[in-house]
Amino acid sequence: MTGKGHPIIELKKLTKRYGYGDTESFALKDFDLTVKRGEFIMIMGPSGCGKTTLLNIIGLLDQATSGSYSLNGEAVESISKRRQARLRARKIGFVFQNFNLISDLSVIENVALPLVYSGYSKTHRLTQASSTLGRFHLKEREYYMPWQLSGGQQQRVAIARTIVSDPEIILADEPTGNLDSRSSHIVMEELKNIHQEGNTIIMVTHNPSLTTYATRVINMLDGHIDTDIKTVADRDLPQPISVRFNKKEEN
Amino acid sequence: MALLLRTHYNLAKASLKQNRTRSFLTCLGIAIGVASIILILSLMGSIKNLIATQVSSIGSNLIVVRPATHKDAVSSIIEELTSSNQYAKSSLTLSDVDKIKGLENISAVAPIAISNNTIHGDNTVNSGTIVGTNADFINIQNFSISSGSFLDKNSPDNAAVVGYSIAIELFGTPDNSITKTISIRGQKFIVTGVLEKIEDPINFNNVDLDNAVLIDANMLHSIDNSIQIQQINIKTSTTDTISETASNINDALIKEKAGDNNFSVAYGDQITHPTGSLITIISGILAMVASISLVVGGIGVMNIMLVSVSERTHEIGIRKAVGASNSNILLQFLFESLILSLLGGLFGLALGYIIAFLISLITPFSPYISLEILAITVATSLIVGIIFGLYPALKAAHKNPIESLKHYR
Repeated sequence: MTGKGHPIIELKKLTKRYGYGDTESFALKDFDLTVKRGEFIMIMGPSGCGKTTLLNIIGLLDQATSGSYSLNGEAVESISKRRQARLRARKIGFVFQNFNLISDLSVIENVALPLVYSGYSKTHRLTQASSTLGRFHLKEREYYMPWQLSGGQQQRVAIARTIVSDPEIILADEPTGNLDSRSSHIVMEELKNIHQEGNTIIMVTHNPSLTTYATRVINMLDGHIDTDIKTVADRDLPQPISVRFNKKEEN
Repeated sequence: MALLLRTHYNLAKASLKQNRTRSFLTCLGIAIGVASIILILSLMGSIKNLIATQVSSIGSNLIVVRPATHKDAVSSIIEELTSSNQYAKSSLTLSDVDKIKGLENISAVAPIAISNNTIHGDNTVNSGTIVGTNADFINIQNFSISSGSFLDKNSPDNAAVVGYSIAIELFGTPDNSITKTISIRGQKFIVTGVLEKIEDPINFNNVDLDNAVLIDANMLHSIDNSIQIQQINIKTSTTDTISETASNINDALIKEKAGDNNFSVAYGDQITHPTGSLITIISGILAMVASISLVVGGIGVMNIMLVSVSERTHEIGIRKAVGASNSNILLQFLFESLILSLLGGLFGLALGYIIAFLISLITPFSPYISLEILAITVATSLIVGIIFGLYPALKAAHKNPIESLKHYR
């Protein structure tokens, strides 16, 4: 799956419906979106306009009711559940508003979690997690439990967990929603650095001031795109990550 | 794959450690179930072992004839159990004994006829066991005589040999019993010998000789013609042709009984069979009752796993979001229930043996350890773990990741 010529994400007429008959409602309706490698997309819009549903579908946690979704040129409907899980472990990273760290596991074990499902040995997992944490200046907090950290630190741990397996796509659902402005700033700088390394980031936010980090800003309304503004030309996007990282080839 | 299994094992171990008390109590449920099964199996094993040891100590030239055919089918064993007296219609007669005596390679033949009657000595024993046999009895199975002598050719017809315990009951003391008289159904007998104390109430003769009076079989028949021969013990002169001799006896008796095959000829391991099958069925029923407690323990495992799954819904959501497949989650929870039940099983094994050992201190049983019992323990606890862990694990595996992520404790 090199997917050189393909856009990394391509959604066509994607529809997600909840309920039937009288209770029928659409989170997404005939949604079209093409995402190129290296884009940093901010998705904005009022509550309930389908932003989170969109991220869940892109992140393979949810299925669309109709329409097509190709990931790296491959139709997602034809990918088995098992391989979808493996793609989540290796190619896609999630950052959540409420951090979603496992409270029973230490910081380093939380960071190493995606590597468990990629089949690495414990030693490899822990060294990898440790070096990733070092990058976020959290090395001395490795064996803290999540509840012993501040919100900003927890979110950085969550971001470390996201990038520990060198994913291609990072999906962030209001990552700064629960943070004060200082922590928000630090977290956004981290995301910016990750983007500079060539990762594709799709981020949902309510905060208009954060759009300065993005290369493309999408405003959603009632399950479809209202406005779509690119602030950086395609040719100026960061280099694809395969150049920077010594990536583990799938298959 | 092996790596992933080890990871699951470590995950499960860590999560069980977090809830030590809960895990321990759940293990205890399984342990009690397994312990009761182990207890029954080991005691059953010890009884079988006891008889097998006796038979092998007598030697490999023992053949035993019993009324009714070999009972293997469960239905006939149950029939045997439910009939009030399993030898009520013995097909063996004293003439069979003489017939067998005339065959080749036979060195001794002794019938065991049983009658229960009141025995009058210095004291009276109501419903004492009277065994009708002959002088060969002691040649087949070596008993020590405490005083006097066993029945022999020169002893009078009304000679009696008494067991050690019944001697005390009849005369107050085992010594000085010789030449005293006892009377059974008005017939007087002279005590000519007292047996040494024998402590094996469970034996292949199905008679507790310690509590029996032994007299001549013909004599017994003359005072009580309703006696039943429950067994004929035969000693062959050579061990090499024992199977041939056994089939000769079989043929001769069939001829004697005009073709009726209503008896069985056993040698070697088969001798333990009738007692063995009785014990097997009783302990089988007991084990079934005990396994109810194992089922209860299993339900405990399922219950605690369901609690664990619902407590950790959020964790399941996170794990799925970072790349756990359904089977990853399934295995993680299945490993937990397997470890619980396996630990419970091993704990129960130890507990069962400790209780069996304590019982052995006050009874003639000794706990019997075999690989078979170990294998049964491990297998049953694994099966319990899988059966009762599968549903919670499946439930965990099929949780919707998005819903799970919204779920908080």
